Amino acid sequence: MNGMKCIICCTMASSSMEVDNVLSEQKVLPPKPKFEPLKPHEMPGAAVQFRKVSVPPHRYTPLKKVWMDIYTPVFEQMKIDIRMNLKGRKVELKTRHDTPDISNLQKCADFVHAFMLGFDVIDAIAILRLDELYVESFEIKDVKTLRGDHLSRAIGRLSGKGGKTKFTIENASKTRIVIADTKIHILGSFANIKIARDSLCYLIMGSPAGKVYSKLRAVTSRMAERF
Amino acid sequence: MANTNDAGVEALRRLQQIDPPSLLAPNPSVSETARSASQYLFTTLRPFSPKSPLDELLVDGYDAEQIWHQIDLQSQPLLSTLRRRLNQFVKNPEEIAQFKVPLDVGKKLEKKKRVELEEEESDDFDEELDDDDDDFEGVEKKKAKGGSEGEDDFEEEDDEDEEGSEDEDDEEDEKEKVKGGGIEDKFLKIDELTEYLEKEEDNYEKGEERDEADEDSEEDDELEKAGEFEMDDEDDDDDDEEDEEAEDMGNVRYEDFFGGKNEKGSKRKDQLLEVSGDEDDMESTKQKKRTASTYEKQREKIQSKIVLMEKANIEPKTWTMQGEVTASKRPINSAFEVDLDFEHNVRPTPVITEEVTASIEEMIQKKIVEGLFNDVQRAPKLPSKAPREVKQLDDNKSGQGLADLYEQEYVQKTDPTSAPLSFKDELKNEASTLFKKICLKLDALSHFNFAPKPVIEDMSFQTNVPALAMEEIAPVAVSDAAMLAPEEVFDGKGDVKEEAELTQAERKRRRANKKRKFKAEAVNKLEKKARLEKKADNAISCQVDGNFFIYPYMSNAALTSHLLLNLSHMFIFYYQPHFVKNIKQLLFQLLLYSEFLNAVSLLHKLDLCCLLKQRAEDHVC
Repeated sequence: MNGMKCIICCTMASSSMEVDNVLSEQKVLPPKPKFEPLKPHEMPGAAVQFRKVSVPPHRYTPLKKVWMDIYTPVFEQMKIDIRMNLKGRKVELKTRHDTPDISNLQKCADFVHAFMLGFDVIDAIAILRLDELYVESFEIKDVKTLRGDHLSRAIGRLSGKGGKTKFTIENASKTRIVIADTKIHILGSFANIKIARDSLCYLIMGSPAGKVYSKLRAVTSRMAERF
Repeated sequence: MANTNDAGVEALRRLQQIDPPSLLAPNPSVSETARSASQYLFTTLRPFSPKSPLDELLVDGYDAEQIWHQIDLQSQPLLSTLRRRLNQFVKNPEEIAQFKVPLDVGKKLEKKKRVELEEEESDDFDEELDDDDDDFEGVEKKKAKGGSEGEDDFEEEDDEDEEGSEDEDDEEDEKEKVKGGGIEDKFLKIDELTEYLEKEEDNYEKGEERDEADEDSEEDDELEKAGEFEMDDEDDDDDDEEDEEAEDMGNVRYEDFFGGKNEKGSKRKDQLLEVSGDEDDMESTKQKKRTASTYEKQREKIQSKIVLMEKANIEPKTWTMQGEVTASKRPINSAFEVDLDFEHNVRPTPVITEEVTASIEEMIQKKIVEGLFNDVQRAPKLPSKAPREVKQLDDNKSGQGLADLYEQEYVQKTDPTSAPLSFKDELKNEASTLFKKICLKLDALSHFNFAPKPVIEDMSFQTNVPALAMEEIAPVAVSDAAMLAPEEVFDGKGDVKEEAELTQAERKRRRANKKRKFKAEAVNKLEKKARLEKKADNAISCQVDGNFFIYPYMSNAALTSHLLLNLSHMFIFYYQPHFVKNIKQLLFQLLLYSEFLNAVSLLHKLDLCCLLKQRAEDHVC
């Protein structure tokens, strides 16, 4: 009976205490906590993260030439450590302690990879600057199985005389295209990649350049009107 | 007489020798011979025809018809007498025997008779009748010999015809002999003939006119016909007449002479010659026709026509009358013979001749010269809506990087006013600038309507040179106006105040500054002067900086003039080209500061220098 009484008393006491607490809480709320995004080295995984981009032999010399153009924005603006492993023919990227965002590393890796695919530094730099730029790669044989002379002719059709057709597509769709033998890489925003890809597919399948131009014109005018 | 006789005989002979086809065409010589022959015959027959009014045949200037009538006048009574005689001979054959006793006489008589017959026949000749002559002769002979019995002499007809033709060819004597041999048959007896003839003569006088009329008409009709029909007809006619006469006489009937139709038919079959058979039928039919009236004749004609037409209708029509006829249904190449008429839907191809080509070429040349090509002008399409600006695709490598591209796009999106120049706009600009440059150059050349260079808002450094120097190509005069505005020229700083505005302290400050400057400058000047004089003394390699002069002389005109004078001395001896430019500038400055006097003196000095220089050069040369 006594125990019971005590409990009741306790409960009554606690409830009264709770009431008091509630009242106090209603009056003063602590401010919402603002959490900065985690820096890479603060993340629960490994503190430092790496990316390794292998250098194909034909891009070795160009890389040597434009190394500083690559190094500077990566190191300074992106705050990613970058180095060239000569023995392994790889470009290695590493986060620093003051790297602001984990996505920087990925962006830099994409940037370097784009350069390795064949894009120019000034074009590949856009990856660092803009968020939504992608590189799409596909092969000619994905579109249409061509052999021998037909394949060569298709590649010729894609480029055009002096690269005319390729530049036209690039300018019209605001993308950059790299035709590496049978592989095709397109760098740009999603919608623009689609436009460029469609034009290139038409060319692979055999449409004459004039026809592709007219289609391009129509599409780009529509896109321009939208804005 | 003998001469005329001979002439006549000759004429006859000639007539006989004439080819029958040649008689078809009228021939004056033949007519002459015929006329003479007929005259001769007429005269020879004259003694045998006591009742004829004419003594001789009148031929000169007489028509064939008239000559015929004359002959007829003579021959009609002759014929009747001959017939009578024949009848007599028929009844009394003994007379013929008497006739025949002196063979020569008989022959001669026969000959005479034949000759008479021939003469008659020849008299009866019409110049226009050719084919009938032979037959007619034969017929006449038959008349003389056969008379009413001529119907039975079908066989003899042919023989007589042949003999008739033979007679013409052969001589008369030979003819007689042949005839004598041929005519005498079981049916025909000459003696009977003569008897009959005499009998008939008596009858003749009674029905002379009637006979003549009938004979004339019948003979006229029969003259037009050809062939043996005529002979038959005449025989029939004769028989009919004789029948008519027989009525007077009594018992003579058709059947006595011709033995009826049925008998004739049977006789026909017995006889060998088919021709004679035909003649029998024809004779029977013609007997009927003879009795028919004109109406019946007409009807018969129509009937024959009807028969023909019915026959045609029953038979299948010719291919031209049938409807659609293919090549297999008509004989080969029959379409060539028929003149087919059908519509040609196609225009006939033009025949290209030289004239046609020449005319075409002429037309072409004319059109080329005029320039009228009749070109089809395209109808101007009215613009229904404004022409949409076609986006030009640039096929050059873009100079901007991808990042710049996207940057531009972003800017465009956010700030629509700042529209970057499109490819087309750049081209436009380029073109417009080029054009303006060219226009400027052209205007400068022409100089009258010169417009100054367009002010391009660029950041450019402008020097303080008189404006005209920049703008005018050929400066006519030197102007005061400087390119730079006074405030641009102004080198000072701070607020500029006039003396009246100054406060005491400021005045004092200014004075103090002035003093300080002056002292500094004075020191500098002294130093420079010393240096200059040193250089002037050296005088050989003086590389004097042009600008050196300007600074001091801008501030103190008097000093400038003084130095200039000194300069001029130097200049006289040591003419150096880079002085000139500086001197020019100096002059301008002097003029600026209205130091005309000094400027003028300097100019003079310069002129002098030049002169002297030239002289020095001349001396050197």
